[in-house]
Amino acid sequence: MTALAVYRDDGPLATWLGRTAGRALPAGEVPLTLAGALAPVAVLVAPARSVSVALAGLAALALVLLGGAASGRARPGRFAWTVTPLLRLLEYTLLLKITVLAEPGAVPLCYALLAALAFHHYDAVYRLRHQRVAPPAWTRAVGGGWEGRILLAAVLGLAGVLDVGLVVGAVVLGTVYVAESVRSWLHFGRAARPNLYEDEDVQDA
Amino acid sequence: MSRSALLFATTAAADGAPAAVLPVGGETAVGRLLGQLGTLGVRRASVITRPEWVGAIEAALAGSAAEVAVIASGGLAEDLGAAATVARAARDELVVATGDIVAHREALAGLLADPRINTGILATASRQRGRWSFATRSARGRLVGAASAYHRVRRGNAFFLGVMKVDPADVERLAAGATRLAELAADPPASWELELARKGEEWRRRLWRAAVLRATGISPEPDDAPEAPELEAEDEAELALRDRAARVDATSLLLVGLVRGGAHVSSSYLRGFFYARPLSAAAARAAEDDMREVDEDRVALDAAVKSADGFFTTFFVSPYSKYIARFAARRGWTPNAVSAVAMLIGAAAAAAFATGSRAGLIAGAVLLQAAFTMDCVDGQLARYTRTFSKLGAWLDSVFDRGKEYLVYAGLAIGSTRGFGDDVWTLACCAIALQTARHMVDFSYAAGRHHAIAETSHRPLEEADEIAVAVDADRRPELAGAGVRALRPALAGSVAPDLGRPSVLPASARPDGPADAGAAPPAARAMGLPGLARLGVGAITALERWPASRWAKRIVSLPIGERFALISVTAAAATPRVTFSALLGWGSVAAVYSVGGRVLRSVAR
Repeated sequence: MTALAVYRDDGPLATWLGRTAGRALPAGEVPLTLAGALAPVAVLVAPARSVSVALAGLAALALVLLGGAASGRARPGRFAWTVTPLLRLLEYTLLLKITVLAEPGAVPLCYALLAALAFHHYDAVYRLRHQRVAPPAWTRAVGGGWEGRILLAAVLGLAGVLDVGLVVGAVVLGTVYVAESVRSWLHFGRAARPNLYEDEDVQDA
Repeated sequence: MSRSALLFATTAAADGAPAAVLPVGGETAVGRLLGQLGTLGVRRASVITRPEWVGAIEAALAGSAAEVAVIASGGLAEDLGAAATVARAARDELVVATGDIVAHREALAGLLADPRINTGILATASRQRGRWSFATRSARGRLVGAASAYHRVRRGNAFFLGVMKVDPADVERLAAGATRLAELAADPPASWELELARKGEEWRRRLWRAAVLRATGISPEPDDAPEAPELEAEDEAELALRDRAARVDATSLLLVGLVRGGAHVSSSYLRGFFYARPLSAAAARAAEDDMREVDEDRVALDAAVKSADGFFTTFFVSPYSKYIARFAARRGWTPNAVSAVAMLIGAAAAAAFATGSRAGLIAGAVLLQAAFTMDCVDGQLARYTRTFSKLGAWLDSVFDRGKEYLVYAGLAIGSTRGFGDDVWTLACCAIALQTARHMVDFSYAAGRHHAIAETSHRPLEEADEIAVAVDADRRPELAGAGVRALRPALAGSVAPDLGRPSVLPASARPDGPADAGAAPPAARAMGLPGLARLGVGAITALERWPASRWAKRIVSLPIGERFALISVTAAAATPRVTFSALLGWGSVAAVYSVGGRVLRSVAR
């Protein structure tokens, strides 16, 4: 698995879409993801009154279908790096948009969930950098992937129980991600020394 | 850790004696070097020297604490063969070094005592320090090219200073390279001879230019040098000495063998420490005087400061945080403890912001700056005391992010409580934007790592990194494929005195009309990649002047600037202003960094 594939944080649904639909579609990872981003971007920039939770959910669905299928087309390429930041930005802002539309009072809970997810996403990068090992695949399955989270948020928003979902998501995922990371460091031995190091960690700004 | 060393005392000084026994600080250069290596865990040393110098070397190392074996060898090919034998017998880490170098112990420690480096070299980016050393090129922490007297590297960005640490995992690769190089040195290929001659000409022209500069105060343009300029007697003697030293420089050859053999070789930079390779008694005396003028601890402290850091960090935090780092080092604090303290102070800052009162916001601003200072201290302490750990690096990064996002939450709580203003949506936008901005950096870097892994190396008998065919009258012609391979490389800046093809006929110069099938330069500059290359060139040009270089870094809103922005706006205004500033500046930074990288990707 490449670093970029780990950074994507695909769940079971995106992986399945990539394996099935991704093979059949005529476009590559970058154009598919960009196409999938169109509807969410329209929903995000539209005035709040003109958008409903259902509409935001449909936009999320479009992103899941196209962006998920794109996971099967991931290849090293000159623009491959654009996909993961775009997925992150869309995932976080869609979660926020759905919360604002469905339950404006639950935005602080959304922040808590985003913080838990951010921990996981940074942890994957830093562990790959320092341990040379990515977090195990089951953490991605438990997290549901970016596609599972935005779809579930839309469903819970429509059902009117988004606040419960955000609390459970933040607490459960936060606990699982932190605990798993701590466990990995307790088991990390000297044997796993990477054979590369950069004199200056310039990316860390 | 137990280490053994392989030293080459094969270079002759001006008086014909080995340069390794030149007097330095009351001992010999090689004795001093081995003493320094001894304090860095070297217990055994093999010293390769000429048969007639064995006595002198044995006398020089008679009092050494290390177990020394002196090996007599008749020439370069034999030196390399002996190196292969020593490498095959090594069971632990092997230090390979030129035996006549004079350097600060801390410079050697930077390479040998840094646990992050498995196989690595001592290097310098300074043209002045590296003027008689061979160039190397590294990309993202890994050497992708190295030169020797007989091998060339293009687009070099540092110089190899003759000290190399080889991990047990790479010792076999070193031995295999040495064996092959020994065969080649016994009967040097034509391309090796041509490369040596090319370097000699280049050094001659460089000495000539330096002499003109001394005499007239005007630095001549590189192209102004005549083909084979006459030098003053002193320069002529220096050139002869350096040329003789280069011919037997086995350490650089072994490095070429390792790099072209596919080893992961990292670099440890000299920073401000002293380094010289004196080849005469007068030069050794001068080196000793120069070295005495450098305060080693002061340099060690300065070297602990990250060199490529943000503007705010470099000018407002590091100048004093390094003294806190030294204070912490003297009290035996660990970097991880400092990281944890910084995280606690950051949490206290978030709690102060969460009160929402003016006093709380001001206290939070001050605490956040204190936390950030401690954040700089932990890294400087780690570099100063060389206590690096993988966990420490992870903690440092995760705590940085944790502090920042905790402070966002504190500010959002404070805004609701103190100002009746719900800014949670802005807080969510801020965390989304900042995480996505970091992801741009991470993903772009990951993509480039992949590109480097695909680099393939030329075999050792070829002098050049790119394919060069030597034709009948021994004039090298760049093969068509090689020229095409080189062209993208030339889009970047070519270090002027590192990679100019001088013995090549004009028609074969990569910047000339090389292969008939290629479009003329004007047409090549057209089209999207050409335009993108112009854009990349313009951005790269900003690196040339300090003001624009700093402006570039400030625009990208690095952590120091971010934390300063949070402190100032929170203390003087409201959390809403803080988030608006973070989102506004952060968006500009995102557009700038994504735009620049898209341009680079198009130009690739």
